[in-house]
Amino acid sequence: MALDFSSTGLPEETAETRNARLPAAAPILEPGAPTDLELMNGIQAEDPDALSQLYDRYNGIIKALILRVIHNEAEADDLLQEIFMEIWNQAKNFSAQKGKPLGWMVTLARRRAIDGLRKKQAYARAGERLQTETEQQPEAWVHNATEEEITFGDTRHLVRQVIDTLPVAQQEAINLAFFRGMSQREIAAKTNTPLGTVKTRLELGLKKIYDGLKELRDEL
Amino acid sequence: MTGLKNYAMSFDEFQNQARLYVIGALEPEELEEFELARKDLGQQAEDFIAKCYSMHEAFALSLRPAKSSDALKERLMSMVRNRQKS
Repeated sequence: MALDFSSTGLPEETAETRNARLPAAAPILEPGAPTDLELMNGIQAEDPDALSQLYDRYNGIIKALILRVIHNEAEADDLLQEIFMEIWNQAKNFSAQKGKPLGWMVTLARRRAIDGLRKKQAYARAGERLQTETEQQPEAWVHNATEEEITFGDTRHLVRQVIDTLPVAQQEAINLAFFRGMSQREIAAKTNTPLGTVKTRLELGLKKIYDGLKELRDEL
Repeated sequence: MTGLKNYAMSFDEFQNQARLYVIGALEPEELEEFELARKDLGQQAEDFIAKCYSMHEAFALSLRPAKSSDALKERLMSMVRNRQKS
């Protein structure tokens, strides 16, 4: 099934402005469903129903991101609630000129999750758990398929295809940087790899992902 | 400024650094250099950084959604409505 990148795009944007950003991939929406931008506009106008709909659309993605960082179901739920409260409170700071609503939400959620991880001082232990879980059962925290999961299924598959083309070492470096908030030096220490090699892995891996997503956009 | 390279960063090099920057993986000394280049390159730099942030979206979408309880949403919406009343 082909993805319609315009389904969560900006209704009033032109092809030129749309292409100025890199649309990673977008969920397929029901016909007539409000776009993410329309929901953000609703939240900016303090409409709780808009937040409710945005929550229904993205809580699973945001929670998966939090879980990937902190690996604790109860803490992830607390953080999920805090993040959506922050989305409600900070919506006025969102600007469609700077990116899409989902990108803004993910950036916010990632920052909060990594802050939470650091505050816990369970950094090393979580790292060991992450490694074990990744090796043994990469998506052990995943539940049965939900409607949201089905909606995002194709999108996830396509994005994963791009990421899976990377050598494992590059994936690992990006995983530690993005989901754990580690610096290059921290990654070098954790993986017992020279700093220069870590930098090269990150640069090459991120460029491939960036280019791959760009190609994906161009094909669809 | 000590230790900074004494040449202007090319746009190709800036692009590499920008992709690291958006995931917070630049080391402090690289960050200083990056910010100088960002200023030099102006709007071109800002446009590229904005594109790079879309990778955040992609990383999140690469994950399988996790389930949350209905009670959590009810709590959230209750907090929002209370906030509106106050």
